[in-house]
Amino acid sequence: MAIVPPLLPLLLLSLSSPMFTQLFNRFLGSRFWALVVKEINQILKNRQLLFLLIFPPTIQLLIFGSSLDPQVQNLKLGIVDYANTSVTRELVSALSENQIFVADNYSFSEQALANQVEQGKITAGLVIPPDFNRQLQQGQTAEVQVLIDGVNANTASIAQGYITQIVRNYSSNLEVNATPPLVNPQVTFLYNPGLASSWFFVPGVIGLVLTLTGSLVSSATVVREKDTGTLEQLLMTPAAAWEILSAKIAPLFLLLMGDVLLALGIARLIFGVPFRGSWAFFLATSALYVFVGIGVGILLATISKNQQQVVLTSFFINIPVIQLSGAIAPIESMPTFFQYLSLLDPLRHYIAISRSVLLKGVGWEALGLNVLALGAIAILLLTISIKQFRTQLN
Amino acid sequence: MTQTTRTATVERDFQSHESVIQVQELYKRYGKFTAVKGIDFAVRPGEIFGLIGPDGAGKTSTFQILSGVMEATSGEVQVLNRSPRDARLATGYLTQQFSLYSDLSIDENIRYSAGLRRVPTARLQQRRSKYLKLMGLEQFGDRLAGKLSGGMKQKLALCCALVSQPEILFLDEPTTGVDPVSRREFWDVLATLASQGVTIVVATPYLDEAERCNRIALMYEGEIQQTGTLAELRESLNLERLELRANRLEAVEEVLKTNAEIADVQTFGDRLDILVPSASAGETQIRTLLQQHQLTLNDIQPAEVTLENVFVTRLRQQGNDPPFIPFPRSKSTGVKQDKQVAIGVRNLNKVFGDFQAVKDVTLEVRYGEIYGLLGANGAGKTTTIKMLCGLQPPSGGEMSLAGQTRDLRNSALRKRIGYMSQKFTLYDDLTVVQNLQFYCGVYGVPRRARQEKIDWVLETCGLVGQENLLTGRLPGGWKQRVAFGASVMHEPEILFLDEPTSGVDPLARRQFWRLIEDFARQGTAVLVTTHYLEEAEHCQDLGFMVAGEVVASGSPSQIKEEQPGQLLELVTNQTQAASDLLKTQMEPWRVSIFGDRLHLVVDNPDTEIPQLRSTLDSDGFEIHSLRPIPFSLEDAFIGIVQRTQE
Repeated sequence: MAIVPPLLPLLLLSLSSPMFTQLFNRFLGSRFWALVVKEINQILKNRQLLFLLIFPPTIQLLIFGSSLDPQVQNLKLGIVDYANTSVTRELVSALSENQIFVADNYSFSEQALANQVEQGKITAGLVIPPDFNRQLQQGQTAEVQVLIDGVNANTASIAQGYITQIVRNYSSNLEVNATPPLVNPQVTFLYNPGLASSWFFVPGVIGLVLTLTGSLVSSATVVREKDTGTLEQLLMTPAAAWEILSAKIAPLFLLLMGDVLLALGIARLIFGVPFRGSWAFFLATSALYVFVGIGVGILLATISKNQQQVVLTSFFINIPVIQLSGAIAPIESMPTFFQYLSLLDPLRHYIAISRSVLLKGVGWEALGLNVLALGAIAILLLTISIKQFRTQLN
Repeated sequence: MTQTTRTATVERDFQSHESVIQVQELYKRYGKFTAVKGIDFAVRPGEIFGLIGPDGAGKTSTFQILSGVMEATSGEVQVLNRSPRDARLATGYLTQQFSLYSDLSIDENIRYSAGLRRVPTARLQQRRSKYLKLMGLEQFGDRLAGKLSGGMKQKLALCCALVSQPEILFLDEPTTGVDPVSRREFWDVLATLASQGVTIVVATPYLDEAERCNRIALMYEGEIQQTGTLAELRESLNLERLELRANRLEAVEEVLKTNAEIADVQTFGDRLDILVPSASAGETQIRTLLQQHQLTLNDIQPAEVTLENVFVTRLRQQGNDPPFIPFPRSKSTGVKQDKQVAIGVRNLNKVFGDFQAVKDVTLEVRYGEIYGLLGANGAGKTTTIKMLCGLQPPSGGEMSLAGQTRDLRNSALRKRIGYMSQKFTLYDDLTVVQNLQFYCGVYGVPRRARQEKIDWVLETCGLVGQENLLTGRLPGGWKQRVAFGASVMHEPEILFLDEPTSGVDPLARRQFWRLIEDFARQGTAVLVTTHYLEEAEHCQDLGFMVAGEVVASGSPSQIKEEQPGQLLELVTNQTQAASDLLKTQMEPWRVSIFGDRLHLVVDNPDTEIPQLRSTLDSDGFEIHSLRPIPFSLEDAFIGIVQRTQE
């Protein structure tokens, strides 16, 4: 009892001071507080809302985080080995060693191989001529023929790249005293040394999840009031439109920030994504993005008559927003026009921020422009949606 | 006890007739709650049998069992000598909600129900035109069901039920929320169907409608209290009714209430309804009583006991009288006793596209006054209220609210206004007490006063101890009472009530009106809309709206007196046949069936009464009685609507 922290009495003093009590009581008696309490009570009774806030984000993160992977593995490689010697078998095993190719499909003629490519049974075919060995032994350049299924251009080019590289490596090993190449690049991967693709995708998916959950949950709470007709009664009360809306937004904001933490937790615990930047910076920018989601949601709710319409309309907004954001496909690979268009996409900026903060640990100095863009979009959306909310009441 | 024995004897008599429905010792339990507690009744073929009772009396459960939708917990139920489930193809069931597809047209709805019941196409066509004609819907065949008025929707629903030509119709409150004109038309259709041999079991909250049933069962808390014809029920009450008019009604009511000889006193607008054991003895007694208190009496007249009197008296005997507790005021009383104008409207207009919803409405409500706005669905009542509240901007006209003419949406003004909309004024997903706390908070009731007001609402609604119930679980009538409480907790100076009593049982409705009158006495200006025309008698001033216009206004007595012509009551040996005959002789709206008698509106009673007698005589009808009776507000309303439409 002897040691009382010096701050505690001070704190108690300030809490019991008549002015503070009065202010506190006034707040508890205010319209705004009554509106907030009502929203919280409704949220607590709404199991569906709590479900929407927890399960879909978790599942989306788990699925997108593990299934979105641009690497090519286990391509089926068909082989026609006319030479059939130990040297050629070494070449084949070199191709299949790193699990990029599975080479267990031997054919006896080029024609059969071509047929298999045509039927899609194999992605690539390798034809080793009968004089392969002889040519090598004579110091001549041996040639192999490669057939690639070009339907999936992406896979085709990757397969081509791998085959070229592996064959080149193989042939350089054959040359006992070959001259080293003049330039030998030593590539180091910064920030993601193991090149784990989930590290790249998970921060994007956090943004994606916030977009979907934020817009749906906030539109649901606004549209429900319209759906059941209580909105009219609410408008007859002395409460102003801004009070009604901010009382709706405040608890939603806290819940969605909880979703941000949930997503970060999953990123960290399941995918091992590092957190290298500043928490304050990340939470502040996430808060901005949550406001964007809420703005979209309220806007949706004001233009829709009921819950069903909200969900259907949200497809028109959320899917393009996600496609343009770079969460799934890299922005650099989009046509120029869409690259510019994506600058208007709030999710693009948020993903840029979250990737950089999580993986690189950079902050305001590098991401200032993204933050400004995000802030501008958030303010714009909230202004429009509040205005829209007001006008639909009149 | 004698009552029960007699009812039982009557019951046995019916069973010895061929009865199409027999119910014995029927029970229905939901978990611990028993909704139906051993009821017995029998229904004869071609009869309109009314099941009358307050919300939660077990009517809907009974209907669901009779129609085979739900299993009984125990008891014997025979419909057409079969189990209700097996009899389903021969019965039709109409629920409280409109059971229609609102995005299908009238024809498509009918075809759909016919398809479900496998009606052959040729018969479907013939029945479709027959019933649509009967309902007066034949020219709207391709209109979407969602675009019909409430009354037309219920008629269409009835058509859909009739298309398979059922022998029995179960109608669970088919006319709730339907305007008086459509309601009367609906009941005329029912009378026609009954005369064609269809048996009808019907529930209704409108007791004036229930008087049109051949027999009535009064149901309360899962038990049938009494069964009989209207005359039997009236007789069993052993009371007579007096209508009293005086200048100081309030004072008269106070004096009469203290007297033990007087069974019931009830204010109806500008008159008191008094129930006494004997009309003549009661009259002399009242005269002496009033003389003792130096109160003047303008007029006292004996009148027939209504079904409402029977029902309310029976409910009282059950001890189900909702308490009247004066509202705990925190503002100083005697607000605006000077009778200033609270709501003033001049030439108010509202145009939606090319549809004029409200046309040149002018009205004035002073503090302490109750103004009733009456009219059919779609007549523009709700639009008018919404404009007055500032929920919709008017297209033209002047409005003043509490002395303000501009910016009717500011929050200081809103604090002085109470508004109860037609439905959904409470949050179903919050508990009762959470709803009340919310409305206290949002209207800025001081925190100290809140608990007192909330307690008042709970006590008035009889919900003490159940305040943590989810509001969505309350029956409709209770929800309305809580919603009313929520809208007055901040002691508004002006109160807008849009159909506050729809779906509320008669006793609770009386309580409602006592509360409304209490607020008015304290100086609140009240503007109310209602479908119950007998309730409109509580208003000091009325406005009748037809197609967006106020076509008649004045006090209830004034309006009734200003009705041209005379209302006649006709009792014959064949009510339906007489109605059919007279409808060919005069305009159909002038003839309507009330239970076992007809109401006729004639313009020149002196010449028309002899004509009527000779017409009926020549067609072989026995006239038991043909006498002039005073207009009720409903008769006046229907007359006004019909004359305006002509």
